[in-house]
Amino acid sequence: MLDKNSVQEIIFQALNNINDERGPDEQIELGPETRLFGTDAALDSLSLVSVVVDVEEAVSGVSGRQISLTNDRAMSQTVSPFSDVSTLTNYILLLLSEA
Amino acid sequence: MTHDQVLSGEFVNLRPLQVADAELTFRWRRAHRARYLNEGAATIQAQAAWIAGRSASEFNFIIELKDGRPVGMLSLINIDMANRHGEPGRFLIGEEASVKGLPVAVEAMKLLYELAFDRLGLVRVCGIVAANNHLMVKWQKFMGMKEEGRLRNHLRQDGHYHDAVYLGLLVQEYRTATLQRMKAMIAVARPVTEKNS
Repeated sequence: MLDKNSVQEIIFQALNNINDERGPDEQIELGPETRLFGTDAALDSLSLVSVVVDVEEAVSGVSGRQISLTNDRAMSQTVSPFSDVSTLTNYILLLLSEA
Repeated sequence: MTHDQVLSGEFVNLRPLQVADAELTFRWRRAHRARYLNEGAATIQAQAAWIAGRSASEFNFIIELKDGRPVGMLSLINIDMANRHGEPGRFLIGEEASVKGLPVAVEAMKLLYELAFDRLGLVRVCGIVAANNHLMVKWQKFMGMKEEGRLRNHLRQDGHYHDAVYLGLLVQEYRTATLQRMKAMIAVARPVTEKNS
């Protein structure tokens, strides 16, 4: 089972993949409170998709469980899973905790 | 085909590219982020001439936020009504800071697909993306495009030749998968109060 730190590291790696495509003055700072999408976000919709794809693949690879971060349930959360790194981490842990 | 139409969405509009956009689009095309597109015009005057010379069979758009700020460009070209296919292209977000947190790329492409599949009745869209444009390849595949081939040393960038991937999307795939994904990515950007209402 993935723990909180492991999930967070997966998200950071996905953000690092975006940083690899960006110039030195466009780097996303990594932290639990890094805003992902919405007000004051670090990502545009191209980059958000990259994070979604990379995180889904990495979680599946490590846990053996398929998760979807863009289904109706994710979109209807009171707090968007994509608000920041912390909310995305917690949402993934919720999905993984369910049988 | 008419080319004076504005395609209206929730977060963005697509309005026809005009000669008056030459200076703006020239600046976008010269920026680092446009390195995966072909070289483009060398001067603003050449860019204006290029815009003025666009074929009537093309749909060339400026992507605008709902407040009217232009943030990018997108086209539907190489439209073949006999075989009912076309090519989305010249896709460029020029004002990256203005689109953070907004589903600009997704909704712009959704509007273009609605034009292609619903209004023009195309059954397929296809085109190439530079293979080293990893974010765009990943994005297009997430949105339902299938890789149909690889063109070796097809593009010249900064004096070096690079592969291109050939991507295609069928109308059935658009209706069963792409549209739902696009709607989901647009929904992410809606305020919470709107989702609950």
